[in-house]
Amino acid sequence: MIRRPIKSSTAAILGVLSVLLLLGGYTFLAHRQYRSNPSDTTIPRWSQLQKGFASTIEVNRRSGDRWLVVDAVATGQRLFLGLAGGVVGSLLLGLAMGCFSPVEAFFYPPLSLLAKVPPTAALAVFFVLVGTGNNMYVTMIFFGVLPTMTLTVYLAVKEFPDELLYKAYTLGASHLEVVWTIIFRQVLPKFIDAVRLSIGPAMVYLIAAEMVVGDVGFGYRIRLQSKLTNMSVVYPYLALLAAFGFSMDSLLRLLQRKLCPWYESKR
Amino acid sequence: MNPSADSATETSPGNDIALVCRGVSHGFGAKAVLFDVNLELRRGQFLSLVGPSGCGKSTLLRAIVGTHPPRAGQLRLFPADAGTEGKVVDSPGRDRGIVYQQYSLFPFLTARQNVAIGPMLDRTNIAFRRLRFLRWRRLRREQLQAASDMLDKVKLGDAMDLYPHEMSGGMRQRVALAQAMIMKPEIILLDEPFGALDEATREDLQNMLLGLYDESRQAIRRGDAPPYTLIIVTHELNEAIYVGDRVVGLSQYWDWRKDHHAACPGATITYDKPAPVFNTRTARDLEAFAAQREEIRRVVFEPDPPPDRHQHVLYGREQNTAAP
Repeated sequence: MIRRPIKSSTAAILGVLSVLLLLGGYTFLAHRQYRSNPSDTTIPRWSQLQKGFASTIEVNRRSGDRWLVVDAVATGQRLFLGLAGGVVGSLLLGLAMGCFSPVEAFFYPPLSLLAKVPPTAALAVFFVLVGTGNNMYVTMIFFGVLPTMTLTVYLAVKEFPDELLYKAYTLGASHLEVVWTIIFRQVLPKFIDAVRLSIGPAMVYLIAAEMVVGDVGFGYRIRLQSKLTNMSVVYPYLALLAAFGFSMDSLLRLLQRKLCPWYESKR
Repeated sequence: MNPSADSATETSPGNDIALVCRGVSHGFGAKAVLFDVNLELRRGQFLSLVGPSGCGKSTLLRAIVGTHPPRAGQLRLFPADAGTEGKVVDSPGRDRGIVYQQYSLFPFLTARQNVAIGPMLDRTNIAFRRLRFLRWRRLRREQLQAASDMLDKVKLGDAMDLYPHEMSGGMRQRVALAQAMIMKPEIILLDEPFGALDEATREDLQNMLLGLYDESRQAIRRGDAPPYTLIIVTHELNEAIYVGDRVVGLSQYWDWRKDHHAACPGATITYDKPAPVFNTRTARDLEAFAAQREEIRRVVFEPDPPPDRHQHVLYGREQNTAAP
């Protein structure tokens, strides 16, 4: 039957099984590749991966720095600044658009258009306008995530029922309190969901830009090492990206559960 | 205060008028909804507002809440600090409480927080809550205690920390009532409050309202100001007669041709009479008000024959004839 529930222990076993299958499959492929060509680097064995990863945290002989450290600092900083700007900007703009009709009429048309332009395609525009420094990446992420996040907040505010609005006024709320103490509280969990969903696109934009014009960062390193088919470096980098995205997501979910207990238990 | 306002004193020897509607008319574009609605609500009265669907009950209620001021005419409230002239209703304010059928509670607050949010919004502001943190914490504790007491009063003492989605419909409406009552408003407005509830819960809540009515009566007998004045909009005639001590019928079916209108200028009050007072200790006898029910049905709900608009209006008759 569709949607018949299973025991949680069964679900856990199935989950572990699929991950084990993935790892086992890789081990098998790597071993076969090694037997046919011991100097191959496309499907490195676990020991090669370990060596590759170690090389990224040792001081590199030629460049004189630790790759992983400089890449993580550069990429993390760009991502954090871009996302932080997008979070603050979209929250303020979305609330203002949802609450005040002139703001809505002014910003809605350009935002709905901009939301459809892929920032990666508009890379040259950011390049021309803000140069190739860190500013470019930050601006690109900012404008990449802003439209969709703003629209999410705006639509959530629009959904806020009139009845509750009137009720807040009959309870003596000021306009600012209605926006901040009432509407924002109600919109917050949806906003956190929007932030969660925009981490993926933000990483896509950033890595793509770093691949094209970067001289440091995860995208830059992955492109360079891919060209040399140095997969023992590329795979650990991919794994780190996955781990980063996953932990950011879990962190935000935890935040959502802490800040909005009423929302989590509803689903 | 103002000696020229003696027209108000001829009907109100004391300051016992809570709300006055004078010639209230409203419409949306070319569509006329309300026409010349005149109403005077005394303190402690429980007024049931009935009428056919689309007659403008909700429009009148919104005008009283203040979210949609009327196109013509005026609504005045008479809170203690406004003097004999009263104050004109043109926006929602803390002196009118409202309970809707749906969306009556803030989903992100527990029952207790939902009740305590009124005092919080009314008596403090964001700056105070952020900057005077310690004083706010002490005040908050008092307000939460008051909210707990209010929830006890509506018999929800053991549901304090439930969120609205964890409560039944009846519990939610009880919390919504407590939320309005804790503000001690001049008038509590109920917009089809029990429309979505099952019959048993509905009767429970009706009896709760009768309990509040009892309190108001006792206060008047003692010579105090009655704590509750209430307008309930309902489409259920039994509920209207049972809960209210006065039933007002708003209807678009009145004899407007006699008043030389080319088309119906909107719904107006065609019925305004007292209703018998019930108490919760005696069993409710629906047959006891069958005659009044039939009268209301005939005057308010039947298109034919259209009644004269003044014939069944007992309250405020002096005002209608004295108007220039």
